[in-house]
Amino acid sequence: MQAAPIVFAQAGLTYPNGVEALADISLTIATRSAVAVVGPSGCGKTTLLRTIAGLERVSTGTLSVAADATRAMVFQSGLLFPWMSVADNISYGLMTRGVPLAQCRERARVWADRMGLQRFIDAYPHQLSGGMQQRVGIARALAIQPDIVLFDEPFAALDAQTRLLMQELVCDLQRQGVCGTMVFVTHAIDEALIVADRIIVMSARPGRIIADITPQLPDVPIAEKRALPAFNQAFADIWAQIRSEVELQMHEGVR
Amino acid sequence: MPQNRWLSWLSPLLLVVLWEGAVQLGILNRIFIPPPSEVVVALIKGLADGSLLADVVISSERIALGFLIGAIPATVLGIWSGLNRTVYLLVRPLATMLYPVPKIALLPLVIVVLGIGEVSKIATVALSVFLMVVIHTIGGVMQVDQRYFEVGRLYGANQRTLFRTVALPASLPAIIEGWKLAMGFALTLIVGVEFVGASNGIGYRIWQSYELYAIADMMAAVCLIAALGWVITLGLDEVERLLVPWRHTVKESRMPLLKKWWGAVRPWSYTAAIVPVLLGAAIAAQQGGLNWLWLVLALIGSIAIQGGTNLMNDYYDYKKGTDTPAVKGTGGALLRGEMTPQQIFWAGILAFALGSAIGLYLVSVTGPFILWLGLCSVAVGYFYTAGPFALAYVGLGEVAVFIFMGPVMVLGSYYLQQPVIAWPAIWAALPVSFVVAAILHANNLRDIDTDILNHKRTLATMLGRSGARIEYYVLVGGAFVSVLLLVALGLAPWPTLISFAMAPLAWRLMRTAATEEAAEKLHPVLRGSALLHMRFGMLYVIGWVIALWI
Repeated sequence: MQAAPIVFAQAGLTYPNGVEALADISLTIATRSAVAVVGPSGCGKTTLLRTIAGLERVSTGTLSVAADATRAMVFQSGLLFPWMSVADNISYGLMTRGVPLAQCRERARVWADRMGLQRFIDAYPHQLSGGMQQRVGIARALAIQPDIVLFDEPFAALDAQTRLLMQELVCDLQRQGVCGTMVFVTHAIDEALIVADRIIVMSARPGRIIADITPQLPDVPIAEKRALPAFNQAFADIWAQIRSEVELQMHEGVR
Repeated sequence: MPQNRWLSWLSPLLLVVLWEGAVQLGILNRIFIPPPSEVVVALIKGLADGSLLADVVISSERIALGFLIGAIPATVLGIWSGLNRTVYLLVRPLATMLYPVPKIALLPLVIVVLGIGEVSKIATVALSVFLMVVIHTIGGVMQVDQRYFEVGRLYGANQRTLFRTVALPASLPAIIEGWKLAMGFALTLIVGVEFVGASNGIGYRIWQSYELYAIADMMAAVCLIAALGWVITLGLDEVERLLVPWRHTVKESRMPLLKKWWGAVRPWSYTAAIVPVLLGAAIAAQQGGLNWLWLVLALIGSIAIQGGTNLMNDYYDYKKGTDTPAVKGTGGALLRGEMTPQQIFWAGILAFALGSAIGLYLVSVTGPFILWLGLCSVAVGYFYTAGPFALAYVGLGEVAVFIFMGPVMVLGSYYLQQPVIAWPAIWAALPVSFVVAAILHANNLRDIDTDILNHKRTLATMLGRSGARIEYYVLVGGAFVSVLLLVALGLAPWPTLISFAMAPLAWRLMRTAATEEAAEKLHPVLRGSALLHMRFGMLYVIGWVIALWI
């Protein structure tokens, strides 16, 4: 199990084409904590996630993640392999690590059961609804028992009710302690407040951290949580922080 | 749009009919443009003496060899270039440069280098296939969404695993697309190649027919190569389904092909197509000899039309949504997702085409009366469930079946052997009419509740359950009563009374129909009615045959 936290120290990232995605990021994410990152579209939230995943490298400053930490990611568009069955998708990360086929199959079955996918284990992704596909995506990530799970706006493309269900699912999984250190990128403030204990607010591009909020919300069902005055207060605080950034971006006409 | 799809097969049929008519009326000169019926005759002659088939086999061999020699290395090289920048930079310009060159233009060069034998023909095909497949494979590999590679790497895949689990499956659809296109090119090319320097093969035959001015033979050869192309396309589609199963929403994609089609065309329903043809021939034989070839052709044609009807019914029932999984119908291959509606549709068209081709041949040897019977039958077969006025949905199903699967078919088969329109043949068909209508009615009786729910108007739903039961008694009973009457009136020979051996079966069926209401309890009545039709009909025919010796 990974012990070291994720530490950004004055980290920045400028793409070769000159676009500055991240600037002066200093952030420590404690082991086994649940952190959400919110900010206007195109602010570099996803880039931040990709640096943790090891898919991008910071160009200035440093980022340290324990070298032996297993990382898994859940993508906005699912990015399941269309040519693999649900079972093969779920056990993909096990298969690449040389786990025997029978065991892969067994783990896939266990995770499919857990995600309510048992009837679809032999289906192909295109036969599933968007919500089901994301369940497979989450199962694929958690099946490898990752130390770090990165969520990249996983529910942005789902309808409102399915999104609620999926948020509940993530909260449940977290309570069961299978999500390790969780970093959850979203543009929905309420979603951030529901799935995470700590919320990082980022500015318009280049992404900087403009607020770091830890609202003290009790661990109650989502519906109750949403009705709490503290929830609404935190929502208003975060919105106040982001609002000007979103407006700025709108006027600049940046995506 | 799907409702009007019948238009798209009406036009080719219309063309054939107009063409035949124009030649028969002398508007077109048959020396230059022989009618379809002559082409069919030429086709059957060529197939019968084996010469046409031998040419197809030779051309197929050339295509197959050329394709394999071209496509296998091209696929390997294409994938390699798609993944490796250096190889890509070396291969791509050469491939794009040579690609637009019409390959037939290279044939003389190939002949100069390799001689005029088999090798040069195969090499020309292989070269064309190679270029086509390389280009498509490179494109296929390069257009793979890079994010999939990223996901693979993130989840711990090394280069080899990435190739096996991402690059290959993701580019496979495009690669197979390339194979299909290349096969099309190979088919075109082989004809051209055989025009020039061959002494056999389908292209050679077309050219030779031209030189001899045997236009019908030429067209027969063209039809055959079109059929070959069609078969190859089907084969490649099947390869695609096998290699790219995720592309098709087919739950039981591993189901064997033959088994799927067996279920879809329902060959066990063909006694309805066979009995009347045999009966017509048996009645005609009372008056004279029998042309066995025509009888066999009529049987094949009749089975083809029946198969086409079955497939079309499935297609339109599916489109109209009247068959639901609750209906444990005899077909339902579509409902179980084993086949796509398009496959069913085109197979139905093909079956009708085969039936029509045989029909046209029989028309050419016996005269236009068969043409009219055939056209009416095809129309009824089609409009049974298709089109705005679907017979099966307005309560006319039994009537249509009664007329067409009885008197019309018997008369047609009779007319082939004895070219007169004989009323006795029509009367003699009545017992068969009754039992065949009973099969359909047993089906409607079983489905009466679901049909009412779906607003499908059958005679059964219109009469209500008790009325529908009486209708069943009338139809089954009518079969036996009509045999008695025909024998009494001297319209059928007395040995036909052996069909009464099936009276106990009929009695059991009527008892079940009288007491049961649940669909699954009535299903045996349907199966039993089909059995009754087969046994009763065959015994009735045997009665006519026995009469030949008495």
